[in-house]
Amino acid sequence: MNLAVFASAFAWQSRAVLGRHVRVHLRNWHTAMLPPVFEPLVMLLAFGVGLGRQIGDLRWAGAPLDYLPYLAPGILAYTAFMTAFFQSLFSAFMRMRYQKAWEGQLTTQVRLEHVIWGEALWAATLATAYAVAMCGVLAGFGLAGMLTLHWWWLPAALPLLLLAALAFSAIGLLFTALLPSIDYMGLPFFLVIMPIGFASSTYFPLPDVPWLQAAVQANPLHHLSEGLRWLLLRGEPTWHLAAAAGLCALLLLVLVPVDQRLLRRRVFGDV
Amino acid sequence: MPDAAAPLIEARGLVKALGGRRVVDGVDLSCRGGEVIGLLGPNGAGKTTSLRMCHGFLRPDAGHIRIAGHDLATDGDAARRALGVCTQDDTYDSDFTVRGNLQQTARYFRPRIGNLAARIEELLAQFGLTEFAGQKPETLSGGYKRRLMIARAVVHSPRVVFLDEPTTGLDPQARVGVWELVAQLRAAGLAVVLTTHYMDEAERLSDRLVVLQGGKVRAAGTTRELLGAVVGEHVVVMPFAGPHGEGVGLWLRTRGVRPSTVLADWHFALDAAGLAAFVAEFSGLRYEVRPPTLDDLFLALAREGQP
Repeated sequence: MNLAVFASAFAWQSRAVLGRHVRVHLRNWHTAMLPPVFEPLVMLLAFGVGLGRQIGDLRWAGAPLDYLPYLAPGILAYTAFMTAFFQSLFSAFMRMRYQKAWEGQLTTQVRLEHVIWGEALWAATLATAYAVAMCGVLAGFGLAGMLTLHWWWLPAALPLLLLAALAFSAIGLLFTALLPSIDYMGLPFFLVIMPIGFASSTYFPLPDVPWLQAAVQANPLHHLSEGLRWLLLRGEPTWHLAAAAGLCALLLLVLVPVDQRLLRRRVFGDV
Repeated sequence: MPDAAAPLIEARGLVKALGGRRVVDGVDLSCRGGEVIGLLGPNGAGKTTSLRMCHGFLRPDAGHIRIAGHDLATDGDAARRALGVCTQDDTYDSDFTVRGNLQQTARYFRPRIGNLAARIEELLAQFGLTEFAGQKPETLSGGYKRRLMIARAVVHSPRVVFLDEPTTGLDPQARVGVWELVAQLRAAGLAVVLTTHYMDEAERLSDRLVVLQGGKVRAAGTTRELLGAVVGEHVVVMPFAGPHGEGVGLWLRTRGVRPSTVLADWHFALDAAGLAAFVAEFSGLRYEVRPPTLDDLFLALAREGQP
């Protein structure tokens, strides 16, 4: 394995590209903060409170549980997944294809591997920042007496969320490399987001179907949701966390070299 | 101690295959400080690929490139620090203002640029961008966008600049503005490599020309040397549809001269003796004799590529 592919994540050029994205984002921080705060708020109110009343109790880990506490850790995991995927796919694609920001960066000491790592690190950073905002929203529910979690585990979950977001961004970048044009942008949502999202225990417990239960063992979002759920509802770190970390690390090991190769071909017409 | 007369760009034996086709095949290129090299050739000749190898976008399959004494393959960071690139497309960062673009571009270089604020103000003034400094680049006219692109290329005070078709799509006034900037870069001692499709531009700006064809250097030298070597001394322009057309065609074939067809005219080059023979042979014919231009060079190269 070519370790240089991973070493370039720590190069100053990758940080310079990350800094560019942070700078652009912070300039509009007042509007940029609206989605990470209001999206989970609306989701928790609409699904957790609204739909939760219709559902009543559900069974999780052999015990009855209200829908709102079931949903809260799932949304935290889903936020990291969606934000990272969307940023590394849609936003990166726009910067590469239409804005030509990548080509501008490549006329400097920044090389393509740095541009790619800069995009991945930014997607992961933003996803983690959104997760932090989500934690604030959950804390608000806690203060309102609507939600009880093992709060001290929340900060401990953030490094895992960062790793997971980095892995999900590697999937997004794969599609950035492959999609011929923006007209095909629906494809990854159909092929990745819907299957991973629905078969992940984020919004509802999965039915006890043997093949489905076997298939979700390969889904890092499922382990992330379940791991966070055990952590935040029971205060117990479980094997799900290790499985989520392992699968995400595996995704990074496999996808980052593939992303770099495919994007090199895409950007330069070279291999 | 560095040799002041040594080339700042030195590319030897560049080879590159893309999509299974050898696009660049043994190209050599060199340029000294204070010199402008014009890289010419028809579409598909290998200009952009050669340029992209020289500024580090593409890795050559063979050959080596030195920028200001630094090998691009083994000392890439130092080589890239010494070069600036103005791409053919506008690749400024549309999320930043004109000033912000210069600041952000500067952040992509190490060692950092000393006294950056002063450097940016100096560039804004030099490139006539001061009054637009707070605007987004997309609000600028085409000419000013190009100025911004060139300013970005030199924000880190490089010793070498690559300008890929810097005036394409500009009106004549804006083109002249860019020419003046190129002249300033040359006067500042930078090595400048430029590609262009405008022959008058190549002739005016370049100290030397390198003509590529089929991925190889077809000819190199000053404009005069190139025209003499590839085209000839005199160019005759005459309508081919007149009563003498057939006779002239036969006369040219016997001498091994292939005319280029431009609309209703033949353009063909002759040396002094050939022109004297032509005048003697076709005394009653109306035609024009003019010195060769780089357009004739292009036509001659295109003709060479035909069966």
